[in-house]
Amino acid sequence: MEIITNALKEGRTVLSEHESKEVLAYYQIPVSREIPVDNTEALIAAAQKIGYPLVLKGCSSEISHKTEKGLIYLDIRNENEARNAFDKITKDIGDLKGSVLVQEMIKGQRELVIGLTRDPQFGPCVMFGLGGIFTEILKDISFRLAPLEKRDALEMMQDIKAHKILDAVRGMEPADKEILVDILINVGKIGIENEEVKEIDINPVILSGGKPVAADALIILEKPNV
Amino acid sequence: MDHLTINMRSLFNPSSVAVIGASDNMSKLGFHVMKSLTNGKFPGKIIPINPGSNKVMGIDAYPSIKDYKGEIDLAIVVLPAKLVPDIFKECVDKGVKGSVLITAGFKEIDDPSGEHLHIETANIVNDAGIPVIGPNTFGMVNLNRNLNASFTPEFSNLRKGNICLVSQSGGISHLLGFMAMGLNMGFSKIIGLGNRLNIDFDRMIDYFMSDPDTRVIMLYIEGIDDVRRFIDSARKNRGRKPIIAYKTGKGKVGNQASMSHTGSMAGRHELYRSAFDQAGILSIDNTQTLLDTAKAMSVCPLPEGPCIAVLSGQAGPSMAACDLLESEGLKIDSFTGKTQEKINELLPPLALRTNPVDMGPAWYDSAAIQGIIKAVMNDENIHGIIFLMMFASANVDALKGIRETLIQWQQKKPVISCILSPPAIWDEEIKELEENRAIVNYPTPERAAMAMVNLWKYVTIK
Repeated sequence: MEIITNALKEGRTVLSEHESKEVLAYYQIPVSREIPVDNTEALIAAAQKIGYPLVLKGCSSEISHKTEKGLIYLDIRNENEARNAFDKITKDIGDLKGSVLVQEMIKGQRELVIGLTRDPQFGPCVMFGLGGIFTEILKDISFRLAPLEKRDALEMMQDIKAHKILDAVRGMEPADKEILVDILINVGKIGIENEEVKEIDINPVILSGGKPVAADALIILEKPNV
Repeated sequence: MDHLTINMRSLFNPSSVAVIGASDNMSKLGFHVMKSLTNGKFPGKIIPINPGSNKVMGIDAYPSIKDYKGEIDLAIVVLPAKLVPDIFKECVDKGVKGSVLITAGFKEIDDPSGEHLHIETANIVNDAGIPVIGPNTFGMVNLNRNLNASFTPEFSNLRKGNICLVSQSGGISHLLGFMAMGLNMGFSKIIGLGNRLNIDFDRMIDYFMSDPDTRVIMLYIEGIDDVRRFIDSARKNRGRKPIIAYKTGKGKVGNQASMSHTGSMAGRHELYRSAFDQAGILSIDNTQTLLDTAKAMSVCPLPEGPCIAVLSGQAGPSMAACDLLESEGLKIDSFTGKTQEKINELLPPLALRTNPVDMGPAWYDSAAIQGIIKAVMNDENIHGIIFLMMFASANVDALKGIRETLIQWQQKKPVISCILSPPAIWDEEIKELEENRAIVNYPTPERAAMAMVNLWKYVTIK
């Protein structure tokens, strides 16, 4: 893929959130609507296009984990808040090459994590689990080796302890398992078809009215062994 | 099918076996291999190879396999590693079909010459399509053919049956073999893979899926070289015969240096577990449960659903069983009206008559107990039965009374039991019931329950 080859040519092994989401979108994985901007006019135009409430994020291939760096501003309701957040982010990014991502705010209480890792013995492996801030604390996750079949995707979703979160619980809609199955299979495909992809983190995948949407993404590359 | 696969049939079913390094000296492994073959009553031709004697254990010996005029199907090699390449060249010339290479000193040692020997030896046998069990193994046993091609004659004490064990560790093989003797379990074959010159787990799966002597495949794994090939071979055979695997080596979790959360959480052990799930291999995490599960699978049909009846001579043990069954996702559902009526006729109201059934108050009445068992077995809601009975002097004849019913049932639905008495009181009766496939008996209610749980777990993953 061009995005991947270009990044490697530039000597980079990390794709920015925006680039990562472009790769996901190419593989039919639902991603949040977003527009990268680097000045205030573009910011306002983007905000109008996408519509409030918004999320503003610092986006750069040099930042991989934004929460730790305080570069995310959620629930931006109006132009004033947008301008303030934009200024703060631009100041914090400083010299790092990057832009500000103007992103729709996905509404949903349930967060999942989907990922990929290329293991030297097992090859590309897809991961599924409970996402958001609890991912590394609870480690409620399951793996399957790519390429996945539909059965594998369905079973790995049942394997996590919190699997009931996918049902119609507490008045929320059941998760659209068909779409989740496709996402899992396609994440595996990314690993199978692109040897330079070493790892993928999609966290969170937010269930919005049952429909999964990738609200953040990180893809790590490596030069394949020739 | 490649030559190696074709020759595996002769490897396990040879008409003639040469022991290269045979000896009358008890301090040599070659002595113990000869003893295994002879004590094990191998019906075919045994050819000791030893340049220093013209007889070993009273059998005519030869200086080399070239000097023996007849065919040699299987060659068991117990000579030092550096001699092995030449020995295998002779085997190739002689037309030997398979080998058990007990010798150590190949890849597993630190000295790099070990690895060279490994590669050199592999090339010789691979070119000729000769399957080799080992090196660095205790050997292998094919009980149904009275073939004990190992250095432990006592493996032949195992009952013949339909469970095969493929193990990466000789120590574990001995452990499981001797534990199994105490559990009255029958085996078809036991294979010590050793350092896997050219036979690895994937070939074993392919072979045992087609082996009519084997119904259950038990694996002990520490690490597999070509994991994908193993998983592919299990996956393409998914659901044909149960594979149960115990893998050790939990190690550390994931690559801590990884930049992604996924990478840092993907530990080797997690990936093995996931790969087993994906291939329909039932994962077990200790030796006792591994054997318990294999035993149940070797006798019982798989349950058609998760509803289990628990029938007990005493309430307490049934609670232990029920707790475990329910915590593992099985159901202790109600009987049908018809069944419940029948039970109510046979048990006084002071007993717990719904599922789980406490048959204690009818201890004196074998006919009542038989009636309850029959009614429950035929209940369409019920997919399996756990039967528990503790000896209590007053009920010494209880088993005699229900023996017929249990034997006639012949495991139409799985019947797993925990029937316990002090030593020598009910031992013979329990043994007879087991040998007639009426029950599969365990020493504790939890082990009985866990065996049923694993039968059902396998159904859900196959």
